Amino acid sequence: MKIDVNGAPVFVSTGGREFDPNGTVLLLLHGSGQTHLTWMLQGRFLANRGWQLLMPDLPAHGLSGGEALTSIRDMAEWCADLLKQTGVKRAHVVGHSQGGLVGLELASSRPEVVASLSLVATALAIPVNPALLDMAQNREEKAIAAMTDWGHGREGHFHDATLPGLDQMNFGRHLMANNETGALFADLSACANYDAGEDAARSVACPCLCILAENDKMTPLKQGRKMAAALTDAREIVISGAGHMLPGEKPDEVLKALRVFLPHPA
Amino acid sequence: MAGDYKFDTLGLHAGQSPDERFGSRAVPIHQTTSYVFEDSEHAAALFNMEIGGHIYSRLSNPTVAVLEQRLAALEDGVAAVAVASGMSALFLTVLALCSAGDHIVSSSQMYGANINLFEHTLSRYGIETTFVKPNDPDGFAAAIRPNTKMIFGEVIGNPGLDVMDVPKIAAIAEQAGVPLVLDATFNTPWLFRPLDHGANIVIHSLTKWIGGHGVAMGGAIIDGGNFDWGQDDRFPTLTGPHYAFQQVNLWEEFGPLAFTMRVRSEGMYNVGPCLSPTNAFHLLQGLETLGLRMERHMSNTQKMLAFLSAHEQIGWVRHPSLTDHPDHEVAKRLMPKGAGSIIACGVKGGREAGRAFIESVELASHLANVGDAKTLVIHPGSTTHSHLTPQAMENAGLTDDMIRISVGLEDFDDLAADFDRALKIAGKSVGGSK
Repeated sequence: MKIDVNGAPVFVSTGGREFDPNGTVLLLLHGSGQTHLTWMLQGRFLANRGWQLLMPDLPAHGLSGGEALTSIRDMAEWCADLLKQTGVKRAHVVGHSQGGLVGLELASSRPEVVASLSLVATALAIPVNPALLDMAQNREEKAIAAMTDWGHGREGHFHDATLPGLDQMNFGRHLMANNETGALFADLSACANYDAGEDAARSVACPCLCILAENDKMTPLKQGRKMAAALTDAREIVISGAGHMLPGEKPDEVLKALRVFLPHPA
Repeated sequence: MAGDYKFDTLGLHAGQSPDERFGSRAVPIHQTTSYVFEDSEHAAALFNMEIGGHIYSRLSNPTVAVLEQRLAALEDGVAAVAVASGMSALFLTVLALCSAGDHIVSSSQMYGANINLFEHTLSRYGIETTFVKPNDPDGFAAAIRPNTKMIFGEVIGNPGLDVMDVPKIAAIAEQAGVPLVLDATFNTPWLFRPLDHGANIVIHSLTKWIGGHGVAMGGAIIDGGNFDWGQDDRFPTLTGPHYAFQQVNLWEEFGPLAFTMRVRSEGMYNVGPCLSPTNAFHLLQGLETLGLRMERHMSNTQKMLAFLSAHEQIGWVRHPSLTDHPDHEVAKRLMPKGAGSIIACGVKGGREAGRAFIESVELASHLANVGDAKTLVIHPGSTTHSHLTPQAMENAGLTDDMIRISVGLEDFDDLAADFDRALKIAGKSVGGSK
């Protein structure tokens, strides 16, 4: 669906189903330079099993307009505004990478709107190499290529995928290239500057699930485990053979973990 | 892994992870029509395209999927759909984009069946085509209408060997908001990758150089994922509600994959020109050595060009590598490794001499195919393009004396001896050189 959030046009996928804000709402947040298509192989399944889905493209990403947000706190506030705009009182938040940081911040600053938190391939902090930041600002195409490379594990590099015919690596590259110029730099800067992850995690009281990737080069498994340890009520699942782009690389495993953790819709 | 694997590595490995149960190194042939569902929910999710997996081999198959993913990797596409032939690849592409009342702008100089599909078959279903010379970018621009849904051509035309200026035509297509669909069979991704130069969809007859062995038919559609289907309402098949799948909008739910999902969910589902798993396996064996074979194809082509150009029984030789070819500069710019291994030439003495040559070669094979490891020859005027009208023949740049040579991988000295002997016989047949 297309709605306005803070005066800017925003695209929010509902998984192809009509959205009911009074149901069991899942807010799925994408990572740096990504779009709602991060959840392409989980979202429609969940939407067709009774969950009410909100999978937004952040401003200046995918099919959304507006200016890119420049801090994790702004992104968390934007999510709270999105929930308000769509009439949602509480949502189960699922975040990949940067989306996980946004989820942590939202659960910490606005605990009343977060029923649970699922953190997929993320960590308490996501430091960004200055060389990558420079590329994102000045040679975005190179930054996209580097992130697609580092973000995928062995099977991704063999261009293998569960969806017949899909080239996961190239799909990732094109998906990122479709964002507004500057969106990736804004995202990476927001990640690099966010240093409140540990405090946020320690203040989160809702149930949490950490889905971590064995071969994650961008938010290494060790850092993911540190995040799980900092959360009061967290379960941890490690998916073997995958890199950072877990929802695309191991879609069935991520979906299974979410289904076990999330309350079944009424 | 630092960076993506390179061409020959991808040709050997892309799309396959050795299976976990048996560890098979070669791609297994999944010779099955259907797949056991875990439960009814799993079945429903697969049918509704919510998760990845296989249902029925008309729609997808694990062996075919390896081929698809390998082709997508080699062409730098986001996805591929492999089908029964190159012609079905073209038809399914049209089916995904066009409806009655729509319009196509196409190259006029290409394989006869392509021309017939556009001119005679699609026109019966209300899809009109304007034909334009492939080396006339301004002609493409002028022919585009508000209802134009695709621009089509062969990168290297069959058999006239005209070369499209892909970047220039891609810029025209982008400006007009129309996807550029290119048949890249004659160039293969080893010589030229159209998606890197602005094209949006690539189709192949895999039967040719990709397989290379001449044992299996196949085709493929590779989706560049680089076209904004949602920029206006020109493509309702991709941005409107799908008649199945709860009326989803494929552009919103699959983004860069929208076109591929339409091909899979309609073309394969409702029409069904599926590739057999065994043919996919054969084509994969060929694809593994594409880079190696292309090197030899190109070196033999250069030698053949020199041989033919110097031969007294040859009236003319056409190949984009030759400086007198009208598209030589374009070919040199786009395909520095060579412009394919097809050569057109005219045997002195016209149709009769051409026939004598074709019937006299012993090493080269007289048959209706190209891209084989073996050298092939044919007289297009009496075979592949014989169903064209005289006007269409002229439009396609065909002459009565034209011989098409698909240069193979034989030791060149043997090829030269075979051709020399056959050309001398051709000369005698019309009272020419002894």
